[in-house]
This record gives sequence, C-alpha cells and structure tokens, in this order.
Amino acid sequence: MLKLIVCLKQVPIVTELPWDEQAGTLRRDLASGMMNLACLHALEAALQIKEQYSADILAITMGPPAAEEVLREAIALGADRGIHLCDRIFAGSDTYATSWMLARTIKQECPDYDLILCGSYTSDSETAQVGPQLAEELDLPAAAYIEKLEIHGRTLRVRRLVDNFRETLEMEFPALVTVSLENYKPRYAGLSGLEAAFDTGNIDRLNAADVGINKSAIETDGSRTKVRKVFLRKANKENILLTGTAANVVGDFLSKYESKISWAIGKDIEEDRNDE
Amino acid sequence: MQLNPSMKHELIRKSVRHFAETELAPIAAEIDRDAVFPRSIIDKMRALNYFGLQVPREFGGAALDTISTAIVVEELSRVCAAVGLCVTVHNGVAVYPVLRFGTREQKQQYLSRLANGEMIGAFSLTEANAGSDAGSVETTAVKINDDYVLNGTKIFVTNGGICDLALIFALVDPEGARPANGVFIAESGFPGFVRGEVENLCGMRANPVSSLFLEDCRVPEKNILGKKGDGLKIGLVTLDNGRIGIAAQALGLAQGALEAAVKYAKERHQFKKPISSQQTIQNYLADMFTEVAAARLLLYRACALKDEGVRFGTEAAMAKLYCSKVATGVTSLAVQIHGGYGYSKEYDVERYFRDAKVTEIYEGTSEIQRMVIARAVLSEMRL
Repeated sequence: MLKLIVCLKQVPIVTELPWDEQAGTLRRDLASGMMNLACLHALEAALQIKEQYSADILAITMGPPAAEEVLREAIALGADRGIHLCDRIFAGSDTYATSWMLARTIKQECPDYDLILCGSYTSDSETAQVGPQLAEELDLPAAAYIEKLEIHGRTLRVRRLVDNFRETLEMEFPALVTVSLENYKPRYAGLSGLEAAFDTGNIDRLNAADVGINKSAIETDGSRTKVRKVFLRKANKENILLTGTAANVVGDFLSKYESKISWAIGKDIEEDRNDE
Repeated sequence: MQLNPSMKHELIRKSVRHFAETELAPIAAEIDRDAVFPRSIIDKMRALNYFGLQVPREFGGAALDTISTAIVVEELSRVCAAVGLCVTVHNGVAVYPVLRFGTREQKQQYLSRLANGEMIGAFSLTEANAGSDAGSVETTAVKINDDYVLNGTKIFVTNGGICDLALIFALVDPEGARPANGVFIAESGFPGFVRGEVENLCGMRANPVSSLFLEDCRVPEKNILGKKGDGLKIGLVTLDNGRIGIAAQALGLAQGALEAAVKYAKERHQFKKPISSQQTIQNYLADMFTEVAAARLLLYRACALKDEGVRFGTEAAMAKLYCSKVATGVTSLAVQIHGGYGYSKEYDVERYFRDAKVTEIYEGTSEIQRMVIARAVLSEMRL
C-alpha cells in the first residue's frame, strides 16, 4: 500500500478579507478560512492515486485551532487521517520555519511515506517555498508545479510546464511534488463525508513538545524572514489619444510603450527592430 | 446555550455555498426564465447526498442534524430557491414521514432510493377544496382486493412534474361506516398516476409544480403509511418538519437579497457618491441585516429543539412565519435599493422578490402559522 502525505494550509477566504489600506494590514481575524486552492488540487491528486492503487492518505496542517477545519474537509473528501500541528509558539512562522517543523513532524509521525504532495503555492502569501524547502529538509527528490503524475512501480513520472516548456521528469520514491492548478480539479465534498469526518474522523493534534520542538529551537531554527509591510498594488487607468498618420501613430505607440509591449508578449521588440 | 455555529456547521455551509455558487449561480436566472428543472445539476447533487440529508447511514443517507439540514437548504436557496425547494420538499415532507412512520418493509423498499436521489419525492395534500383545511380532502381510496384504488385531483404539487413517488392524502372508505384520512405511498409508475401540466407560477419557476390526477390509481395496501386513520396526524407532524425547511429556504432568499443589495449600494453612485453613504439606504440595510440575523436565530432554535427530541412545532411555526416575512420584506427592499435595475430581470433581486412571496403561502400560510402559534400562546401562558 502506498503511503501518501498531503500538506494543507488554511487561508483566508479572499473575498471576505477586510483590508485596512492605511495601516497596510489584512484583518485576518475577521475573515473565515478555507482550504488553499492549490492544496485542494494536491489532495485531489492523492485521491486519484488512492482510487487507482491502494493508498493511505495522511493530511497534515500547521495552524491555529480553526485550521482543523481543513483536515476535516480532507477526511470528508477521502483522506484517511489527519495531523494538526497547533501551538501558540508556531505563530508567525515563515516558510523556512514551517518546512522545518513539518519535516520534524513527518520524520517522527510517519517516516515510511512514499510520496508527499503539497499545493504549489498559497493564495495568501504566494511564496511557493514550503514544498521545495520541505524536500530539502527531508533530502528528497522533488518537482514543483507538476500538472500530471503517473506511478510505475517505485518510479514517479511527473509532467510540468516550466518557462513555456513541458518537462517530463522521473524520480524514485520517496519523493515530493507540488501540484499546480492546471489539472486535478478538486471534487466536491459529499454531505455524508462531511458529517462522518466530524463523527468518526481521526485527527491527532500535536503541540510543539509533542514533536520535540521547544522555544529555544524556534529561536535558533525558526523564522528567518519578517514581513515589514503589505501593500495593495494599484493599476491606474489612463486614456491616451495618439494622432497623426498611421505610420506616426504606430511609431509613437512603439517608442512610448516598447518596454511594456515587450514584457506583455515576452519578446524584446527593441532588439527585433534593431535587427531590421 | 451555544449560539455560535460549530466548525461542522460552518464547513457544511462553506461546502454547499461553494457548490451552489459554482453550479447553480451560472444557470439560476436562465432556468427561472425558461422554467426548466436542471436535471444535470440534480444528478450531481444526488452523488453528494443532498437527497438523503437526515436519512441514517444504513440507508445511504448523510445522517445530518437538523441545523445542518437547514444550512444546506439555506445555502442552496441563497443562490437558487427553486432548487432549494426541490431539496427541502423531498427531504422535509416526503422522506421524513417515510422515515418516521414507515414500516420496516416500506423503509427497505423506498428509503435508500429516496436517499440516493434515484427517486425524487413529493407531498400531495392540497386539493381545490383542501389546503389549510387539511381534513377536507376529497380524493378517495377504496379497497379492492389487496389494493386501494385512488381517485381525485391534487394541485400545486411541488416536484409534481418530476417526482418518482408522492405521498397522497386521501379519504379511505368514503362510503363505509368509518371514513378516515390515510396517506398512501404512490409511485409515479403505478397505473392511474397521471401528471398534469406544470403550473405557470410567479416564482420558483425552475421547480415543476404540477397537478396530479389519480384515475383509478391502484396502490398496494402495504403502501399505506402508518395506520388507516393516521392521515391527519401524519400530515401535521410532517408539516411541522417541513416548515423548518421552508423557513430555511426563506432565510436563504433573504440572505442572498441582502448581499446583492449591499454590493449594489456600494457600487451605485448618485450625487457623486455611492448610495450606501446615504442614511436612508443605510437604514434599510441595517434593518435587513438585523432581521436576517434574528430570523436565523429563531430558525436554528427550532432546529436545535428538534435535535434534542422535544416538541418543536410551535417554534417551527414561528420560524416559518418570521423567516418568510423577513424574506418578502428584505427582497422587496433589495429591489427598492436597486431602483429600476431591481425591477429588471438583469438582476437577481427581481427573481428573489418573486420567489420570496410563496414562502408565506405554502406548507401552511402565515395565517395558519399564526393559528398554530396562538394556540400555543393561549394554552402555555396561563396568566
């Protein structure tokens, strides 16, 4: 039986996230949480593996007490059990600390895994770092942003789109992948599964001491980064009228907006024009 | 007293909301306009246990508590009340009485198929001369050999156009010494079970509400629900439960209309500022928000009483009366806030406004709810 681990994160429901523009902060306390979308895709990939082969799915999340909800949802969808890393001293962990703590938990609680699946990034911070960092901590072969996976014996074959190239990679178990939003459209949770997830769902809540982490370890191996400020990027609309002959208009257009056009089409048009 | 929703209830709400916004929102206006029952989406709902909300797991149901059930109906109705209606009538007044009063054989024969949505149920009491006056049904059931032969016309049957099974209220042995009210489980495939045209109604247009004609319809004797004379009792107990569902539906409509009104009030500019900055609009929104919150508490209290296994009939009537009143009031104000656009089919509030009215009419009119409540006030408050 394959042993799969899916790492999940609860993120604020974006449409409900109140934004304090002056203070430059998100009022996370006012928003309710949801499972990060890419994590749902990772879970769906795991569920499809489980349907095709025999597999056991362990869902892990780190977060405040309310984050238990994503584990219940995962169990409702078909995960077999959950681990909830929950301790006040984990608050404010950056991606480095998070992946370090996840790695410690995995080594202690389920060292015999075959494949770890993570979402490719989270909607609230978008760093895409936890998956690859977790692979480093566990010294695993890994591929990020995968859109398809196949299992051949102990070999995992994955496909991903990187820099407009489609790559196919192979690695041996145990391995780690981060799953993109391209495929593995998440299924809906059935009501029967949701009820059962609360009724009989098996979730272990572990605090820092349970996984051998103390405050000084957090201070030494904890977060290396600090968020200084969050700001909302604003797009301004401006209407500009170009006049003259067609040749003048095109010339003006290109010279004024060359860099923006190059960026948008992914090609250096100044170089092209010089070549001509 | 626990007044905050539990994690389970919140997750069920989020889950149903996600389904409704993804699957129902894109088609809600269209199926209302064309009066089309959305079969493909109903198929998806079958697989997710929407048709076995409170049915025990042994029959393939979701075994939800009543608050969860109300949340499911509320969230579906927040987006598309006609689909919410299909679900609440099936679960609340077709499945529930089979679960509550059915024999072991009836449960084995029907519950699993109802719970997995293979069969959609209907509740068929109302006739031309019987509705609020439930004891006056004129449909007859006469015993011939091992069957009862039913004759009569039922009207305004929710799910009537697509139901696979209907609970028919009839007068048993009308010419006999002791005529009595009875309830019969009639499959749509039984000979003499004839559907009428789908009604052309003001709202809930995606639900195929129709007449049913019973023309020498033969129903096996084993399909009597409860005992022969239990019809009125089964009807009243079932309607107590059904009222929770209609209250939830009304609440969902009010919530949907409130959200649409808030969004529009922030977007719509007049006098160079959003209309939400006008005190009049703020007063409207404050009242709507308050009424919706109060309606929700009243409804969940009725649900909690039912889950505790104590009498909940009066509370269900209060919830139904109040939620439906809030629904008609809030949807009307939502149209008002939208101005001319609110009167246009381009905006959802026009549909919400039409849909809301019937929540004051079906499964016991507001006048009947007041009768039920008044009876409780006068008997319980011995001053």
